[in-house]
Parts: sequence; structure tokens; C-alpha cells
Amino acid sequence: MIGGLFCYNHKGEVLISRVYRDDIGRNAVDAFRVNVIHARGQVRSPVTNIARTSYFHIKRSNLWLAAVTKQNVNATMVFEFLLKVVEVMQNYFGKISEENVKNNFVLIYELLDEIVDFGYPQNTDTGVLKTFITQQGVKSVTKEEQAAITSQVTGQIGWRREGIKYRRNELFLDVMEYVNLLMSPQGQVLSAHVAGKILMKSYLSGMPECKFGINDKIAMDSKGKPAEESKTKSAIAIDDCQFHQCVKLSKFESEHAISFIPPDGENELMRYRTTKDISLPFRVIPLVREVGRAKLEVKVVVKSNFKPSLLAQKIEIRIPTPLNTSGVQLICMKGKAKYKASENAIVWKIKRMGGMKESQISAEIELLTTDTKKKWTRPPISMNFEVPFAPSGFKVRYLKVFEPKLNYSDHDVIKWVRYIGRSGLYETRC
Amino acid sequence: MPAVRGDGMRGLAVFISDIRNCKSKEAEIKRINKELANIRSKFKGDKTLDGYQKKKYVCKLLFIFLLGHDIDFGQIEAVNLLSSNKYTEKQIGYLFISVLISGNSELIQLIVQSIKNDLASRNPVHVSLALQCIANIGSKDMAEAFGQEIPKLLVSGDTLDVVKQSAALCLLRLFRTDPSVIPSGEWTSRIVHLLNDQHMGVVTAAASLIDALVKKNPEEYKGCISLAVSRLSRIVTSSYTDFQDYTYYFVPAPWLSVKLLRLLQNYPPPEDPGVRGRLSECLETILNKAQEPPKSKKIQHSNAKNAVLFEAISLIIHNDSEPNLLVRACNQLGQFLSHRETNLRYLALESMCILATSEFSHEAVKKHQETVINALKTERDVSVRQRAVDLLYAMCDKSNAEEIVLEMLAYLETADYSIREEMVLKVAILAEKYATDYKWYVDVILNLIRLAGDYVSEEVWYRVIQIVINRDDVQGYAAKTVFEALQAQACHENMVKVGGYILGEFGNLIAGDARSSPAVQLQLLHSKFHLCSSMTRALLLSTYVKFVNLFPEIKSHVEEIFVADSNLRSADAELQQRASEYLALSKLTSLDVLATVLEEMPPFPEKESSGLLNLLKKKRPGRVIENPDRLDEHVKKEPRETNGTSGLTLASNTEQEGGSADLLGLGVPSAGNGNGPTTNGAGAVTNNIQKFYCKNNGVLYENDIIQIGVKTECRSNLARLALFYGNKTNHPFMNFQPNVSASPALSLAILLQVKQVDSTVEAGAQFQQMVNVECVNDFDEQPDLNLVYNYNGAPQTVNIKLPISINKFIEPTEMNGEAFFSRWKNLSLPAQESQKIFKAAHPMEATDSTKAKLIGYGFQLLENIDPNPDNYVCAGIIHTRSLQIGCLLRLEPNKQAQMYRLTTRSSVEAVSQHITSVLCETLSK
Repeated sequence: MIGGLFCYNHKGEVLISRVYRDDIGRNAVDAFRVNVIHARGQVRSPVTNIARTSYFHIKRSNLWLAAVTKQNVNATMVFEFLLKVVEVMQNYFGKISEENVKNNFVLIYELLDEIVDFGYPQNTDTGVLKTFITQQGVKSVTKEEQAAITSQVTGQIGWRREGIKYRRNELFLDVMEYVNLLMSPQGQVLSAHVAGKILMKSYLSGMPECKFGINDKIAMDSKGKPAEESKTKSAIAIDDCQFHQCVKLSKFESEHAISFIPPDGENELMRYRTTKDISLPFRVIPLVREVGRAKLEVKVVVKSNFKPSLLAQKIEIRIPTPLNTSGVQLICMKGKAKYKASENAIVWKIKRMGGMKESQISAEIELLTTDTKKKWTRPPISMNFEVPFAPSGFKVRYLKVFEPKLNYSDHDVIKWVRYIGRSGLYETRC
Repeated sequence: MPAVRGDGMRGLAVFISDIRNCKSKEAEIKRINKELANIRSKFKGDKTLDGYQKKKYVCKLLFIFLLGHDIDFGQIEAVNLLSSNKYTEKQIGYLFISVLISGNSELIQLIVQSIKNDLASRNPVHVSLALQCIANIGSKDMAEAFGQEIPKLLVSGDTLDVVKQSAALCLLRLFRTDPSVIPSGEWTSRIVHLLNDQHMGVVTAAASLIDALVKKNPEEYKGCISLAVSRLSRIVTSSYTDFQDYTYYFVPAPWLSVKLLRLLQNYPPPEDPGVRGRLSECLETILNKAQEPPKSKKIQHSNAKNAVLFEAISLIIHNDSEPNLLVRACNQLGQFLSHRETNLRYLALESMCILATSEFSHEAVKKHQETVINALKTERDVSVRQRAVDLLYAMCDKSNAEEIVLEMLAYLETADYSIREEMVLKVAILAEKYATDYKWYVDVILNLIRLAGDYVSEEVWYRVIQIVINRDDVQGYAAKTVFEALQAQACHENMVKVGGYILGEFGNLIAGDARSSPAVQLQLLHSKFHLCSSMTRALLLSTYVKFVNLFPEIKSHVEEIFVADSNLRSADAELQQRASEYLALSKLTSLDVLATVLEEMPPFPEKESSGLLNLLKKKRPGRVIENPDRLDEHVKKEPRETNGTSGLTLASNTEQEGGSADLLGLGVPSAGNGNGPTTNGAGAVTNNIQKFYCKNNGVLYENDIIQIGVKTECRSNLARLALFYGNKTNHPFMNFQPNVSASPALSLAILLQVKQVDSTVEAGAQFQQMVNVECVNDFDEQPDLNLVYNYNGAPQTVNIKLPISINKFIEPTEMNGEAFFSRWKNLSLPAQESQKIFKAAHPMEATDSTKAKLIGYGFQLLENIDPNPDNYVCAGIIHTRSLQIGCLLRLEPNKQAQMYRLTTRSSVEAVSQHITSVLCETLSK
């Protein structure tokens, strides 16, 4: 039961204010601004309680989005809803910024009216919303069309309308994974996990029924196949996963089969998390030496650890520097490195890097002697990259499409699968 | 920042505008990080920076610091700037240092050196900067480093006036951190003579300094009085054109005048008649000037003028010696009472409150009564109304009490909630203090409860009941009045309490009237019963049982009430207990017993105290204006808090249980004093009566022939002495006659009952004689034991005192610190206190023996309640038949001097003195 939704710019000016319930007073808007946005110390908790009113906020670029309630609501539900609101807005007008919000505020109010009713979140699926909230002015809708929209929104399959036709039936699958790592200076993995999601773009005619197979351990074991076979095929252990509403959960629970009627267009089909047997794409080896009080020598080696045929991209290594740095000299064999004073870090960028290679940078950091006794805390070295495989070992085994009514079969559908591995919080202590 | 000027530092201006243009906090931090890195590289760089660049970067660092970021470098550069010869660079350096350098920095030596150089500089601007920096840092280090130099600078002949001014203020700042910075003696007269300086600025600064010094050491700076007076008179008598720069909106040197007037308030009126005359002249002139038409319509003009005037009036009040001036001041204030400026009205009321306490001006203040009452009614500002209430309270005396109380009561109905409670207390106090007719008093208090029942504290209605009980003449009237008051539809619970109590005691006085027959009274009270809190219900139950005694005809009605489930089975234990006990009392006992148990309450002890006043002081500490006592006080009794709610003191006094042992357990000697009376075989011990103040058992008297031991057992106001007579010889004592007697005065205070004994004591035998003592009143003598017997044919006599003293009836009382100190404060009248300072006989470290003595004396030693852990704090209640006397004691050791200070407070003067003298003797021996 969300009482209201507010959107502020970075100065704390209200851009959007929509109140769903009467228990939220007029001063609620100001309370959040005074106590959170303009607070003396930075407010780090996403949930703030002010005068028996709870504020749940997220920040996107320079905008604050806050949901308000007086009731005891499920906080995760509220945050999920806020993220959905952001997603819907992005789908409607692209990047969320003050400018865009100001330009589209009529649309935003229309959306906010639709996706929440008396504080209860409703359908937040962009595909469905786009059928009746359009940006093309008012157009008279015929009775049939109106009936179609109503039946679809209220019907059993709310995420797909009937009568979709494509000349080419195509299906795109992106397996997107984020690797998170914390490693000790000696190369010991302190914590690592992969958060993955499967993005699906479907351009299929009619109401096709799809079946999707992955190399999940449980799913493969339950198929009754010999245990050895599943091992050779390197099944992975998925810690937990969640699906788009189109997936029939009853079937997943009984048969471990992922079967669904896909929504049209782009959608997130599944989300999952794994913690075991992660193949780490890169290894960072730091060497820090303090030479007296006025100098610091840093050497960092990066090793890529995947098939030589693959090529990693957008590699960026960030080496923090002490707060009393007065000058930096850098030598690197590959890529470009620069000392960024505004961020107190050396940023080393490499465009491309093949598998099983290694590269190194050495830096001399001059220090200014100060009167503080505090030692430099040595924040970890962090890294960003993008690799064309799934570090968790996730594989799409099959995807079958059945459309009994129309005359195309599984073979006629063109299917594309792509694996992308990206860095999440990929850090090595030094 | 003066450095950012058109020709100033461009880099700094750009940086600041960058920061101001930042869209978000993150962007700002990025920009600052970048700048910090830049400055670091510049400071680290090999090529030396010139003064301008250093100044610029130090300025940037300062700006970043003021934005709330930590700065941990740049101090060296700032210190370098100090040695620059350019004013702006030096100034920035000093600014940075006074803002950023912490006291214990390593650089402090360098800084001190730089400051020293600047102080010695010939350039007055540099000296001023250095002084400013010293004052801004103002640490102990600075005081130590420059405590010697600044006074020199201050009094030296060739220092410029501006520098002197700074030096005076700087010295004041250092004096505040470290009072020892100014050595007494050599500088005194030279500092005082600064008041004679040509330059008004120097005088103003010096006046502040001298004011602070005088507060510390008034005697030494006495010389400033005459100088201040002459300076003041020169300012006051001059025309505003005389001081060009120091005239503020046509008022000559208002700040200096105010400071001088304040300075003079540190001293009593000057003794020298010349000076005194001059001062009076000045004050008169100031008062005269107030009458002149204003020279300007600007608010600043009147503000400055009034500031001087009010300070002058404060001085007049402070001196309190010239009736003429006091009356004039009062009249002047009277004019302000109807001024349209709210602040002036407030100040006038406040000053008048103080004036009202002076005997000279009291009458004059009274003239304004009308205006003040009017102010109370029409004033819009609540703080001003509050002051008006204060003033009415202060100006009240016998002649106008009735009118003022009436007005305050009338105002109470509409009064602001924040001041109601205080007003109620004030009305109660005034009504009590100046009551000539107790009917009037009862009326006032009942009115008070009716108008502002919520704000009437317990003490107020306890008090009215005490007065009614102690005064026979108002009892009937009070009963009638409360009966009428209770007939109102809705009446406040406090009214029900008063009504219940008074009708329970004196309901019979109005029972003759058919309109207020017993049944009607009961019905009236019981109609309120269900609306009241449990405390009030308990009180009403006591009233009902008293009705049973007063009016036997309604006994059955009362019993019905007790039997009702809501009482007999009440969830409240107190109510249940009362209901069942009262029910049993009325059902089972005979009329005689009933009449004895439910007798009318005895009069409350009349004590010399002012509980309500204390309450008022507690409510507003430090702000209470006294109502001056210059009239005969007739009713002043302490409200007894314990005797309020339950008419019958039914609840058993739990404190007593912890006290001394059972009377019957006489044979068991108490653990600490196990000396059996007979076993003590010492030689010729004569009379050691002194020791028995602190112990109960032991040998009282011993010679070669006879030994007399004593064992004392006490319980509340009763004591039992067992006297043991031991025959140490081989011959019997014949005609043995112990005779216990008391002096005529003592025999009124204690009752002695002596058992007869055999007239023969066999050789080597021992026997005991019992003496029962009851304490009726406090006493300070001891009864005599006169022993006559024949030994070996020769008559023997022994004359000793019996070890019975008032402290045997002390019951140790445990209480917490808060309770102790509130009681301590309640007993603050001089007569209640007795104090002695004496030399310690034993080493002070032996706290255990001191403690044992205090406990042995009968007190409860209260540990850990005095803020000073060395102090001993004790409490006890002396039980006598007629009353209980609370007794509090503090023993404060002074270890350096090996002296004790003993303070005893009790509600009876003689007791305090007696205890003090005895304990003083005990501890100093």
C-alpha cells in the first residue's frame, strides 16, 4: 500500500508528486527533502522513517524517486515497484533525467495513474502499457479495439495480445552475467558470485508456446538421465532464480521445465544467481611498496584467464592513490593510463585483450608529508570489463517453439543466443 | 573575505565560482579533490612559490576547510606567510592559523616565535594582527607564552591607541582562559589608570578588562571606583558633540557608560562622600536626560539612551542607599510601564520587581499597582504578563494583599497555560502570608481550586487542610463552604479531596442543617466517587469511615459502600485493603473503640518553614523574586507531606521495621558491642559517660569495689536500660539504694520508670535493675543515678549520669540523594541549622572509625549521595511521644587543614545544637 510517489531533482525541487492515499499529508513532500536530500550527513539507508511515515528512495542519475507510506508494507515489494517505474519510464522516453521528466510529465502522471491503484501496484509491463498509453495524442478507439484491450488486460495472458504477425519469426536470447569478486592480495578468493539474467527479444507470430532448457543441475538430474551424463555436460548449481510472469511456475515445480508464452518484444525472462565454480576472467596481482614517507611504488599485473580465442573488451582498472598524492609517474605496456586527481585514483584503460595474456603497469607516486597520523587505508583495486562468455558456465541447451494454430514450426524460427559476461564489483585488495 | 577583490586572487575566485556551480555533492567533491591534488603538487614542487601563490593556495585550503573537508597540510606554508611583510599575506596566514591550527600542533613553537616577532614590530598593524591571532586561539599555551608581554604593551607609553585597545581585549580573552595570566600587584594601578586614557576606545576596552578583573579580585582594584565615577560624570555632563566618533545617535559613548555603570555594580556605594556625591549627580543627570525630548526619532537613539538609563537604574537599585534616587527611578519606570515599546515594558516590570524589595522604594512601586494590574489584563506579550505577575507578587503586602489576590484570581481564569501553575502557587503563598481572616483564606484557596484545579499542586491543598484543622474558628465555615462548592455539577478532583477531608473531620458541624444532613453529605461525596482517581477514592473511603463515627445513623449506608464489589474487590490493593479494614472496623468494634480510632486529627505542628515557597523556587530556579518579609508573619507552618492523603495513618511505617531490635529480645547483646558488662576488669575506670553517646552497652562506672554496667535497648520513643551492679569485693553491700532522678526540666521531657531492687548485694554477686524511659519531648540533659550503699560498714555514694540522651531515640532513616537534599533544603532556616568547625583528633583517613561513631550515634549513614565522596551524610528521625523530629547531618572533612565541618539540620533548634555539640566533642576527642 504505497501512499504516494515523489520525484525530486538534485536540488530537492519536486518534479512529480502523486498521492494515492489520504493519510499522506502535504508536508510529507517537504519532510523527505529536509530530512534526506538536504540532510547534513549523507543518508545512506534507502528506507527512512520520519514522523511515522516511511520513505523508500532510490537515486537515478540526479533524480530522487521516493515512495511514501504510513503502513507497514513489504519493503522489497516497494523497491521492486520503484525499479519497475524506472524501467517503464526508460522504455517510454529513454534515459531518466530531469530534462526528460520535465518534458514528459503528462505521460508520467498517466503512467502513475495506471500502474498503481489506491496504493496497490498493478500491471507494470511496458508492452501491455503501450497498448493503451500512447504518446500520440487522443485518438478515438473503436468499440472492438476497446474490448480487445479490456479483455487482454483483464484476461489470463495479460502480457501478450492476440493476432500478432511477423513475416520472419525470430528469437534473440542474451545471457547477461555480472561477476562480483573480492580477492585478497595473495590471490585468495574471499567472496565471489555471479548475478545473471536472460533477456529475450521475441518476434513471433500468433500465440506460440516456448520451451526452454538450461544446464541447471536439478533440472538435468530430474530428467532421469544418468548422473554421469549430467556431469560431463557440466551442469551448474543455481542458487536461486526468478522468472517473468509468463513462465508457468506450476510446470517448473513439477517437471522442472521452463515453458511459457513469450511477451512480444524485449523482456527479461529469468534472473539467477550462482556462487560455485565461477571461472574468473581476470586476475589482478598488486605490488605496493612504500619507499620512505614521500614515495610509493605500485606495480599491478593483470592476467586474462579464458580461452585464447576469445577477446575481452572495455577493460578498465582503477588503482586508488593516497590522499596526500602530490605527483604520479606512470609506465604501461598496453592501453592508456592516467592519474585522475578528482577521483584520487589511477585509471588504466585497455581496449581489447585476448585470453591467456598478461599486462602490467608500474606507477611511482610522490607523497606530501602531512601532519595527520592516520595511515592510508589502502582501498581495493577495482576493475571493469566485458567478456563474450558466461563466467558461471551457464548454457542454453535448447529453446523450442510450438505454434499449433499457425503454420510454422520450430525449424522455421531463427534463433540467436549470445553470452556476455560483465564485471560487477570486481575488486582485489592491495 | 577581504582577499577576494578585483585585483585579488583570480584563481581563488575561479575556484569558488566552480564550487558554487557544482550541480551535486559528488561533483563538488570531485572538484575539491582535483584542487587539493593541484595544491599538493604545487607545494611539493621543487621551485619555490612566491608570497602571492602561497597566499592563494592557503586561501583555497581555508575555503575547502570551511566547506567541511579535512585539511592536513599547508600549515608550514601558512606559517611562512606570517613572516611576510605584506599585510594581505600576513593576514591570510594568521587567519589560516587561528582557524586551523590545533593547540597541540608541533608548529606551535614556530607560530609563537612569529607572533613574538610581530608583537615587537614597529608597525602597529602587524602588532594588531598578532594580538588578534592570540585572542582568537586563546589557548592556555598562548596565555603562558604571552602573559608577560601583553600587559607591558598595554601600559607602555609609546603604544598606539588602536594597539592598546586590541591589547586590552586580548588580555581579557587570555584572562578568561587562565586567570593567573595577570599578576597582581605591579600592574594593578597602571591598568586601573587606563580608565583615564585620552582615547575613548582604549577606555571602553579597558572597562571590559577591569570589569572581569574586579569580579575576580574586588579588593585589589578598588581604585577604579573613583576613576570610573569621574569618567562617567565627564561623559554624562558633556554634550554629544564632544565625542565625535564615540557619539551614537546623539548619545555620548553609550557603550562605555553602560560598562562603567556595570563596573560600579561590583562594589557597594562608594564611601568617600565626594565620590558618592559625584555618582549621585551622574545618576541624577541620566535620569534628567530621560525626561528631555528625544533628539532623534530613530530607534537607535532611544535604544542607546534607554540602555544607559536602565543600567543606571540597576546601579541605583544595587546601591539601595539613596531614597530620592530610588523614588525617581521608580517613577521613571512607571512611565515606561505604559510605553508602547514592548521591550521597555518588560524591562520596566523586571526592574520594578527588584525595586519593590527595597525598603525605600516599596511604597513608590505600590503607586503603580493599577497600571500593573492593567498590564496584566491588556498586555499581548505573555512574557511581559509573566513579569507583571512577578511584580504584583513582589509588591504585595498587608495593605494591598486582598486586592492583589483578587485581581490575580480574576486573571487566572484567562491566564496563559504556561504561567498558571506558578500563579497558583503565588496566590496560595500570598493568601497565606497576608491572611488576616482565615475565612478569606479558605475562600481564596477554594476559588483557586475551582478556577485552576489542574494547576493546584498537592502542597497547596495540604496546606489549606492543615490550616483548617489547626484553627477552630474556621472549621465550621470551611465545612459549609466546601459543601456548597461540592454541589457544583462538575468540580475538580482536588476540590473533592479537600471536600472529602474536611467533611470527614468537621461534617458534624454542619449536620444540624437539614440541607446538609449526614445522608446528604454522604450522597454528595459518593456522587463524585466514581469519577475520581484511586488516590482520591482511598481518601473518600477514609472520610466514609469517619462518617460512621460522626453519624452512627448512616452506618448502614456506609457499610453498603464498603461492601460494594468495586471497593471490596477492587483491583487496587490500597482500596481493597481500606474497604475491608474499614468494614471490619465499623462492624466489629464497639463505639468506644471506633471513637478512639477515628478521633479528630490532632493539630499539625506549627513549623517555621515555607514549603510552598520552596516549591516556587524549584519551579523556576534563579528567577524567583522574593516577596519581602517586612510584616509580622503569623501563619507559617510547614506542610507535612506525609500526612496528606490518608486521614488515619493506617499504613504501617515500613521504615521502622529496619530499626532496632525487638524490645523483648533484651538478653541478646548486639554484635558490635559485645563487651559484657561484668567481664571488663579494668582498674579504676571512673565516669565514662561520654562514650555512651555512640554505644549502647558497656561499663558505665567502675572502682575497686563496684562495677556498674549498662545495656540499652531502644525502640522508637521507648528505651529500656538494664543496669548491672557487680560487687567486686568479698563483703556484701548493705542498704543498697540506686536512685534515678531527673531535673525538673528533664522530667517534663522524659518519663522514667525504675524497678525496685533488693537492698543487699552479696559478695561477688551481680544483679540487674531495669529502667524504662519514654521520650516525650526533646531534651539535652541526662538523668542522674544516685547510688548509696554500705560497704564494710562505711557508707559509699556514687553519683553518675545515666547514658540516656536524645540520640538514643534516633531511628536511622534510609533515603536517596534526591530526597535527602530536598529535605536538607527544606530545613534551611538559620535556627534549624547548627554548624561547628573543629580540629580532627584522629587521622582523617580512618573513615571507618568515624563512620562507626556516626552509626553508633544512631544515624543512618547515607553513602554515595554527596557529590564529594569524602563527606559523611547522615539522616535519622528522633521519635518522641508528641512528634517526630527529622534530623539531617553532614560532616565535611578538610584533609589539608585536618578540620571537620559539622552541620546539623533539624526542625527543632535545640536538637540541632545539642547533636552538634555532642558529636563535635566525640569526634574531636
